[in-house]
Amino acid sequence: MNERIAPPALVDRVRRDLTPVHPLKRPIVRALVVLPVGLVLMFGSPIYWGLRENLGALSAWASWGLSALEGFAGLLIVGAALTEAVPGRRLSARAVAFTIGAGVLVPLAITLTTYWMLPAAGPSSTPVRAAFECFDMIVVWAVPAVAVPAWLASRAWPERPAVAGAFYGLGTGVMADAGARLFCWISSPTHVIVSHGLALLAVTAAGAAAAALIDRGRTAMRSPR
Amino acid sequence: MQLMIDYQAGRLDAFESLYAALAGDVRRFFAASVVDSAAVPDLVQQTFLEVHRARRTYRPPLPVRPWVFGIAVNVRRRHRRALVSAGQQRRAPLDAGAEPSSPPKDTVADISIRRALAQLPASRRRPWILHHVHGFSFDEIGRRLGIGADAAKLRSSRAMRALRSLLAGSRGSDDE
Repeated sequence: MNERIAPPALVDRVRRDLTPVHPLKRPIVRALVVLPVGLVLMFGSPIYWGLRENLGALSAWASWGLSALEGFAGLLIVGAALTEAVPGRRLSARAVAFTIGAGVLVPLAITLTTYWMLPAAGPSSTPVRAAFECFDMIVVWAVPAVAVPAWLASRAWPERPAVAGAFYGLGTGVMADAGARLFCWISSPTHVIVSHGLALLAVTAAGAAAAALIDRGRTAMRSPR
Repeated sequence: MQLMIDYQAGRLDAFESLYAALAGDVRRFFAASVVDSAAVPDLVQQTFLEVHRARRTYRPPLPVRPWVFGIAVNVRRRHRRALVSAGQQRRAPLDAGAEPSSPPKDTVADISIRRALAQLPASRRRPWILHHVHGFSFDEIGRRLGIGADAAKLRSSRAMRALRSLLAGSRGSDDE
């Protein structure tokens, strides 16, 4: 058999639905689809849960400005996830490390800046409860929001679904944290790292799990029987 | 790249030319990395079928070859998963560095190369496989592994030297 000539069955199959297609847009442009989700997470969750009482003690750039910056970082991380999702475009080890670093360091730097400007410790009697409440309030908004980047990524076919999923989960988590810092009045790094950090981790895990499930579903649908 | 643009525009001859240009390399990729050589032609076909389904995910002017091989990697993953779920997987993949157990259709030379490759550190084995088996350029390998093209070339060349030495050693011990 000449391996340079496509088998007739394959050619027939291709001919049957050979309609012109438009290539996917650049990942960062596709990530803009997630922008409304980011805005809902940034504005919707603090409005729903109530803005932090001491928000007025922060300047506009330190409150809304830093949240916008964090939300933008989350969007860029989703863009990295959508790059990773395209076959043959897996991120290099350096890019993976940079993306994870951005997902950890940006919220951390913003937390420390906020604490430096407005030190507000949580209730000393019920720190665990306060941590659990914040965790819950972030996760309940962020986990459903993961569905949008998951859908975008599933339109490509990532070589490493768990990595792509973890990244869009992380990006969504960072965007959710941008909203959380507007309703959570505690700026103590311990609270933020433990409670918000665990929420970020949970959303990242949810993204990885969603991507793995989508990949398995795709495998089950397309496996030759 | 022009072939892919024409193919995305709906030209069948572009698909056939793409197949002619890449099918051999895709076949070698599967031949080097899956257990059952009988499945290779089928996997090549599945890859090009997935290329067709996913053709909109290719974005010009990016290189076509890594995109097609990305899809081939996914097809291989799906194939392995199907084997596992069917309880038919008989031995671990080459990349895992495991010893082949009972390869009925491999030649003695294939087995020796696989064994020698498994002894190399992954940092050298991967550039070598990507270049000599999958046909990637060192620039592409560098981008893929997050290292410089020169580093990829150096690692591949060191792997080649180590392979030669290992194979010469195993031939010597076989002769004894």
